[in-house]
Amino acid sequence: MGAVSYPKEVIRDLVAGKLPWAEVKSIISGYKDDDRFDKYIEVLQEKMSWKERILLPLTDELHVVQKGIERIVKCSCGYEFGDYRENWKLKALIHVRDTQEEIDELYPYPCKPAPEYCEIREHYCPGCGTQLEVDVVPFGYPAVFDFLPDLDVFYREWLARPLPQQKEFKDLTYELTRRWAEESQSK
Amino acid sequence: MNSDAIGSKGPEMQQRSVNKGIGWGGKSLKEMWEEKERLYKETGCYYGLEELPLMKGDPLKSEVLASRLLAAAVAGRETSRMISASPLVRDVAELAVAIYTPEGDCIIQSTGIIIHIPLMGQVIEWMIKENYEEEVGINDGDCFTSNDNYIAGMHPADFYDIMPVFWEGELVGWVGTVIMEPEQGALAPGCMPSGATERFVEGLRFSAEKTAVNDRHLKAFERRIRLGCRLSDFVLLDRKGALAADIKVRQAIKKIIEEFGIGYYMAGIRELIEMERRAQLKRVKTRTVPGRFHSPSTFEIYLSRTIAPPHHAIDRITLVPWDFNIKPDGKYSLDFDGAGSWGWHSSNTSPSALLGAACLMLTQTIAYDGKANQGTFLALEMNTPYDTFVNPSSPNVASGMFFSWPIMGGAIWLGQQSRAFFCRGFVEEFRAPTPLGVGASGVSALAGRTHFGMDFGFQMMEAPGFIAGGAFAIRDGVLSDVIFLPDADMGNAEVWELVLPLLWMGRKFIPDTCGWGKYRSGRSVMGTYMVYKTALLSLDTTSMAHCEKIGGNSGVFGGYPGHGGFGKVIANANTMELIAQRKPLAHGEGYPGVGDLEQNISGDLIIPLANSYVKGVFRHGDFIQGYMGTGGGVGDPIKRDLSLVKEDLDSGVITIDRCRRMYCVDARYDEIAEEWVIEEKKTAELREKKRKERLAKGMPAKEWWQKRRQDIISGKLPPLLKEMYNDSLAKGQRWPGEFRAFWQLPRDFTF
Repeated sequence: MGAVSYPKEVIRDLVAGKLPWAEVKSIISGYKDDDRFDKYIEVLQEKMSWKERILLPLTDELHVVQKGIERIVKCSCGYEFGDYRENWKLKALIHVRDTQEEIDELYPYPCKPAPEYCEIREHYCPGCGTQLEVDVVPFGYPAVFDFLPDLDVFYREWLARPLPQQKEFKDLTYELTRRWAEESQSK
Repeated sequence: MNSDAIGSKGPEMQQRSVNKGIGWGGKSLKEMWEEKERLYKETGCYYGLEELPLMKGDPLKSEVLASRLLAAAVAGRETSRMISASPLVRDVAELAVAIYTPEGDCIIQSTGIIIHIPLMGQVIEWMIKENYEEEVGINDGDCFTSNDNYIAGMHPADFYDIMPVFWEGELVGWVGTVIMEPEQGALAPGCMPSGATERFVEGLRFSAEKTAVNDRHLKAFERRIRLGCRLSDFVLLDRKGALAADIKVRQAIKKIIEEFGIGYYMAGIRELIEMERRAQLKRVKTRTVPGRFHSPSTFEIYLSRTIAPPHHAIDRITLVPWDFNIKPDGKYSLDFDGAGSWGWHSSNTSPSALLGAACLMLTQTIAYDGKANQGTFLALEMNTPYDTFVNPSSPNVASGMFFSWPIMGGAIWLGQQSRAFFCRGFVEEFRAPTPLGVGASGVSALAGRTHFGMDFGFQMMEAPGFIAGGAFAIRDGVLSDVIFLPDADMGNAEVWELVLPLLWMGRKFIPDTCGWGKYRSGRSVMGTYMVYKTALLSLDTTSMAHCEKIGGNSGVFGGYPGHGGFGKVIANANTMELIAQRKPLAHGEGYPGVGDLEQNISGDLIIPLANSYVKGVFRHGDFIQGYMGTGGGVGDPIKRDLSLVKEDLDSGVITIDRCRRMYCVDARYDEIAEEWVIEEKKTAELREKKRKERLAKGMPAKEWWQKRRQDIISGKLPPLLKEMYNDSLAKGQRWPGEFRAFWQLPRDFTF
């Protein structure tokens, strides 16, 4: 059989949650479309008010984009978080729900996190105030780096179209915290 | 003599050697297993199949072979349901059937509790390595039973009945049927008690034992079951059902061999596995993005609350960092480096249980075309450090909950893989995690005397049907959508009432419990029960997936994690007086904060604690409520579509107070139209206000990091958490370095 492909409008509606369930079900049950990624990127790119090329969406609001020779994380609102290999949460605003009232707001019944044991971390975009992620982790756990994509392998080996300026696949978050520690010491 | 001993005289007979092994071509099973392993090691392909001549020559014939085998497995499963007695089989279908190669590799699997599919294969492999061929004897018509997790398995309640398939005197495969029992004679309540710390109190144990010859169970086996557990009729009839399923599938396999020829069959099943291995790698490369995903998970154990031996009655929280890597070659790699110590409780896990969870996950989320088999698992690697929570070093530890963390962690993995689908554009495949948030459900397990005056113990399997799945990336989650139980089903209340001394007072949605988000989790159900015609009922919350102090990390993209499970019990209830006075009882939660149970019924209210027996003995008229929790939400809740919010209000998913706070949506109730009307202007103001609040109260991450780092250096953590971190810092190889590097701590830092 020939390759499956859906019109861009279908992908647009699918991503927006507007496609009727019967069609969504049909897509789920059918063969996957080979050109999905490219259409997906086109659909997302058209929604943005900025022009940098989207290399990879990370969440429904955050995208890895090509900015000059750098690859940075950028919010739909335009706020830029920096190198995609650093955990973007360390460039966001954080609020920890650590009072019983704030926890009860989420969990009104028994079986609710205890603030001295558990952090409910809300990560906001400093540009638009969108809540980008909520992490529920043991108190003191490092900021969760949800996903570090191996972008060069993805583009070079899986899509067969290498990106310019290859970057080392490496978590750079620790270099950021090292700089912060040095700043603290020098004060 | 077996009735299905169909004769076939093909040219394949000429190829057989004169060796005395029982395997295909006269080889011993051990020789076959070793050859398979060697060829995979040498070529990276299953059985060294670098080419697929049958598939290439006649792909349709190969497809027909797969379809025939699948149909046989599914039909076998249905056969078992017609014979078994337990409601766990007949009503909620806690069973599955699979077909294996002579070496124990799965070729095809039915629907059902597929978490066990590769594990029955591990039992076969164990029997091969233990030289059953010579020391025990493997004959046509034999059946081997195993529920020993030292060999393989998720927990002792899951019985594997495994039968060899012979063709003209040579073993050409196996059939396995798995059924979960509601109790197997363990410490009360009998299935997976919270107090079991060693395997010696976990009831009936069959360690891959021969339990049937000539298609008939051994009398000694039947006697052991009769005398070894409380509900022996269920266990025995389930064995009969499993035996029938195995025989039916064996007959079907022989017909398939007759149709295709033994030579084609043996080559064909190997090709099916190699094709699936390649297909899985291709699926990964075309639907995901390579890279590293990370999430922590914790497991809380409170054995000081239960009846564990004093030297095991220890409270602890164990950390297991969950790293999921999608590698450049398309292989999935799970790395549990940093996992804390195993302990004397039943909730550790094992590499075998983790492989089962992997089967469950992969088969439902990416390898769902009906052909998932050993090939799927060959595209998976795992690092399970020895002598840790994920790989205990003592064979004596209890295993009643070996399944628990893998499926909770499996939910985390589900979220991680979903991110990969989302990044690649396959948003329709995205699901937020649904942790098994049992926490403190008061109705997990029951024991005592039934309304018919019989001793009993029972693991209640209604509750998984109550769980609400996490949200999808493009729509809300749904009820009874739990990754760990593919066909989650509440069962029929009338059937449960036949078995248990309880009256079903209600199954009702419970408001304000979703994982909130732009898309919310499904809405889940609370069960309400009245203790019925017994003066002796004990309740155990078991030790399933605790998230009592630390919630499950199930929210995605700004959505919140769902609500944990809980229970309520009223002892010494005044129910009979209320009935005499024709006053209302309780059928659900009612309005949050003013529960119907507390409002209407007087007595001693107990909120059961996780991992313990509920204090007290319960009697006719007492009330129990249980609720299992919800999965996570997806996206910022204040971006939820207003028409969906209205639906939530109209259907009682959310109360107006919480709606204003979570969705930042205001609405008024139209008494005449009997529906909610969204106040759009006020809503826009509320949402704008929330954004500004966030920008004002949100702390720059750098400040938060400095503050929290100071907390860590100064040791501002509860003792249980310090022990948890110290444990993982001592056990891990890579993770400790990452923890210390993130907080910029000395290389030898411990709490």
